[in-house]
Amino acid sequence: MSRKKRILLVDDEKSFTSLLKLNLEETNKYEVRVENWAEDAVKAAREFQPDLVLLDIIMPRLPGGNVAALIEADPQLKGTPVVFLTAAVRRAQVEDHDGIIGDHPCLAKPATVEEITAMIEKHARA
Amino acid sequence: MVDTPINLLLVEDNPGDARLIRELLKEVGLPGYQVTQAGHLSQALEAVAGQTFDIILTDLTLPDSRGLEAFRALRTAAPTTAVVVLSGVDDETLAVGAVREGAQDYLDKGRLEPHVLGRAIRYAIERQRAEVELITQEAFYHSLVEHLPQNIFRKDLNERFTFANQRFCQLLGRSREEIIGKTDFDFYPPELATKYQKDDQEVIRSGKIFETVEENVSPSGEKIYVQVVKTPIRDVQGQIFSTQCIFWDITERKRFEEQLQQKNAELAAIAEALRRSHEELKSAQLQLIQAEKMESIGTLAAGVAHEVKNPLAILQMGINYLSKKVPTEDENVAMVLQEMREAITRADATTRSLLEFAASRQLKMRPEDLNDIIHGTLKMVRHALTDSQIEVSRELAESLPKVMADRTQIQQVFVNIFMNAVHAMPKGGQLIVRTYPKTMSETTHREGSRKSTHLWVGEKVVAAEVDDSGTGIPEENLAKIFDPFFTTKPAGQGTGLGLPVSKKIVELHGGAIMIRNRPDGGVRVTLLFKQAKEQT
Repeated sequence: MSRKKRILLVDDEKSFTSLLKLNLEETNKYEVRVENWAEDAVKAAREFQPDLVLLDIIMPRLPGGNVAALIEADPQLKGTPVVFLTAAVRRAQVEDHDGIIGDHPCLAKPATVEEITAMIEKHARA
Repeated sequence: MVDTPINLLLVEDNPGDARLIRELLKEVGLPGYQVTQAGHLSQALEAVAGQTFDIILTDLTLPDSRGLEAFRALRTAAPTTAVVVLSGVDDETLAVGAVREGAQDYLDKGRLEPHVLGRAIRYAIERQRAEVELITQEAFYHSLVEHLPQNIFRKDLNERFTFANQRFCQLLGRSREEIIGKTDFDFYPPELATKYQKDDQEVIRSGKIFETVEENVSPSGEKIYVQVVKTPIRDVQGQIFSTQCIFWDITERKRFEEQLQQKNAELAAIAEALRRSHEELKSAQLQLIQAEKMESIGTLAAGVAHEVKNPLAILQMGINYLSKKVPTEDENVAMVLQEMREAITRADATTRSLLEFAASRQLKMRPEDLNDIIHGTLKMVRHALTDSQIEVSRELAESLPKVMADRTQIQQVFVNIFMNAVHAMPKGGQLIVRTYPKTMSETTHREGSRKSTHLWVGEKVVAAEVDDSGTGIPEENLAKIFDPFFTTKPAGQGTGLGLPVSKKIVELHGGAIMIRNRPDGGVRVTLLFKQAKEQT
């Protein structure tokens, strides 16, 4: 059994993060940390050293795009894969852009657990 | 006839003759008369200067005048009074001379009888009146002909001039004597003379008035226009013996008309330009209003969608989790979870369509081949078509003009139309897709319409028709099919946004969409797109 992948969930929707955490942990393949405060996301990432960050875009005070930029700018975190998971885009828009928005892969809410895990498997650091 | 009292001057120096005539006059039976008698010419002239006589009876041999002089003097003094000469046996020749010079009659004094005298007096007065009237009339017409600003001439049947008025003489620069008896060939170039004579012959042949406007070139080289009226002249028997021509220069009027026409055309062009710019302005304004409206609707829809999608995502996660945790032996639990999953899919589809409907579209317009788009779209929906056993016929025009279109958007329109057709033919059927170029024969504009774009009469378009052999649309629903959220499909099968979105897309392309029931069953959807301006 390989080690569990470390997934950091950054989303201000507490109900969503807690349920997604449950679902991902249920697979027994992931270790999940939740951060509901966008401005604390970088700090959490430094502590947690995730293999992938699942990042909401529309969040109060600090949008997901800025969080992604801060992660990329951080020497310790640079290169950490980020996947946007957002209600701000439509599936069609995501597909139009080959699933990439602003250099990062993207999933439109509501997405199924299968879609999310497939995305994690594709982009997370081994 | 003469029935008023007659004022008579009797000029007779022989008292016997005078008495005889007075006696005879009594027997004539005139309605009433008054006689003034003069023995000398001088007395007679005095009388004529003092009053107006109806008739003068005069002897030609007077003490102070002999021969025609007496007659001439009286004639000059009273030119409108009838004169009857009384002659003796010896001067009958003289009397005839007087008649030639305008006397109405002469009477032989030796053979005078009452009825002869009476008749001579009456007729002389009548004839004199008629002559005076004729002369007056002739003078009137002569004056008309000579002073009208028109050129007037007459010709005989051999094309020789028989009359020319003053103006025509001036025009030709010849005297009347130089014109009479000549033909057009003496004054005009042969080709013109030939034409003029041909026109005359036509008048003689048809017996009808001939009117035309001739274009000539003046000696100074300017173009001039001449109005010509030619008429046949008939004799007492009704035979044509002459032609008359009246013509006059209408160059000024023509120039004025031409200027008027030109000004009219200019005015019409200005009015048209104004109408167009007004139309464009209105269109721009409506587009602006529409854009603003769509932007606010778009913002609202995006906000609503975001707020709906997040809870949907939470539900999705919850169902995912429960699916794994709840015992699957219970069939009801599995069913409930499945229903919930489908409910999420439906709600998601609705928010997505809402966003599409509200999104202010930035169209990526390019010249596109509509046939290509149709082939591509049919490929996209081929599974749905074959699953429902629908046979597709393509009647696509060759070398179809291109249309300006956003390919993805138009594909979406065709997907909507094809899927509606599939839903209308659940037990199979026929789908005919047709394209052809066409020129609009009626506008899509309706008076008072607030739509920002219209197709106008004469505009070149490409038409696409999609016919299905389905159940058709109930008449009461035809007016509602483009209303958002109107659907007749079972819950979950349609969002009620397919046609509104399609209509919006087509209209953003400046085109039109029409849906009608076909007389032989099924529905025809007609799409009209403007042809791309520069065909490549």
